[in-house]
Amino acid sequence: MPGRVWIYANYNCNLACTYCLTESAPGVAKRAMDPDEMLRVAREAKDLGFTDIGITGGEPFLLTHLPETLAEVAQVLPTLVLTNGTLFSDVRMERLAPLAELPIALQISLDSPDPDVNDEMRGPDNFAKVVDAIPRLRDRGIAVRIATTGEPDRLDEDDHARLCELHRGLGVADEDHIVRPIVQRGRAADEGMGTTFQPEEIPAELCITVDGAFWSPFGPTVRGGELDTDLLISRTTAPLGRPAGLLHRLVEGRPHGDDVTIGIR
Amino acid sequence: MSRVKLINAEEAPLLARPFYASGDPGPIVAALAQVPELLDVAMPFIGATLGPSFIPLRPKELVILRTSAVLQCRYCVEVHTVVASEAGLTADELVALREERPLAEVFDRPDELALLQWVDALALGRGPIADPIADAVRGHWGEPAMVELTVLVGTTMMLNRLCTGLELPTSPETLTRLAELGFSR
Repeated sequence: MPGRVWIYANYNCNLACTYCLTESAPGVAKRAMDPDEMLRVAREAKDLGFTDIGITGGEPFLLTHLPETLAEVAQVLPTLVLTNGTLFSDVRMERLAPLAELPIALQISLDSPDPDVNDEMRGPDNFAKVVDAIPRLRDRGIAVRIATTGEPDRLDEDDHARLCELHRGLGVADEDHIVRPIVQRGRAADEGMGTTFQPEEIPAELCITVDGAFWSPFGPTVRGGELDTDLLISRTTAPLGRPAGLLHRLVEGRPHGDDVTIGIR
Repeated sequence: MSRVKLINAEEAPLLARPFYASGDPGPIVAALAQVPELLDVAMPFIGATLGPSFIPLRPKELVILRTSAVLQCRYCVEVHTVVASEAGLTADELVALREERPLAEVFDRPDELALLQWVDALALGRGPIADPIADAVRGHWGEPAMVELTVLVGTTMMLNRLCTGLELPTSPETLTRLAELGFSR
């Protein structure tokens, strides 16, 4: 099973994208993870045989400690950080400099080659900030990937071709561009956007948050301000072996205690 | 009424789902589902203790209902009055177990009186249990049963405090059945 362990760094965000799984926005409950905890998860993940760390949110770069924490985490395992790419001021860029020497990539969201279409989903000036940030990151030797999220009918072949031309022009190769569907959870569910999935259709990737361990980074979604629990594995996240073991058992389809007749009400 | 959210089938965490497979699992499971890793290990233990075993159902229900009554657990008394009735206990026996009549007026089997005395000593007492009470239950039931029945008292006490502390609600169906049996609660 190992592979990547995901970490939710936080839930708040400077944006409020229409399809956000975690209803992230300014002012929501932060559910922020301490840097020591993020590092603990990374170290234990390595000891358990996991190969990568993924860090997502919310917008992780709202955490002031994040550049330094990423440098520590990436020294443990290769790291992928999901970000909206809109907070890379000159000061923050300088603090990211050490990441150029480490196995870390920033995955930045960009949903359309057309600024107005992109910004309709992701907020005003989002497109401009992202296309400004990507070359500045690359000039500093920091690896960048681009993630495009959307409904299948919103990105036709021509749009896709123009988006690919755009990311290539920004220095991001085709293999570093992923296109993924909207998952109908969180704000996307309220908006009637995206595709529904059964748990068994979602790849099992251990995901750690301050609220517990989940089946996948698509698990700890928020709807109506409440955390969804249908993909919760355990509230316990330490030692990491505990939720990892439970996830492994679920993946193998071995229910625990299913041979005991429950005679209570 | 419940002090905590009772998780429904749609919200059920993955480890909790087997317990929802046959419909509403009841408020104990629905509350424990908030901590699925705890539910996962607790339910097999609770099931093994309260459920069918080498000890017949009647003495187990004597223990569960009596313990719940002396600990004044509304939920457990309501539910297990119905369960005990379905296990064959008479109306008089239910009344006595619920502390609404002296036990000795209703129960005349020495083994059951010894067991009920053991339950009261464990559930109500503090510190050591007097030797005569322990000797009586060991003599009538044997050591393996004494062990399991003692664990049953403790497990019931745990559930009593869980249900009382969280103010778990009794189902309308159970309340209806209680009324049919002549009990207001």
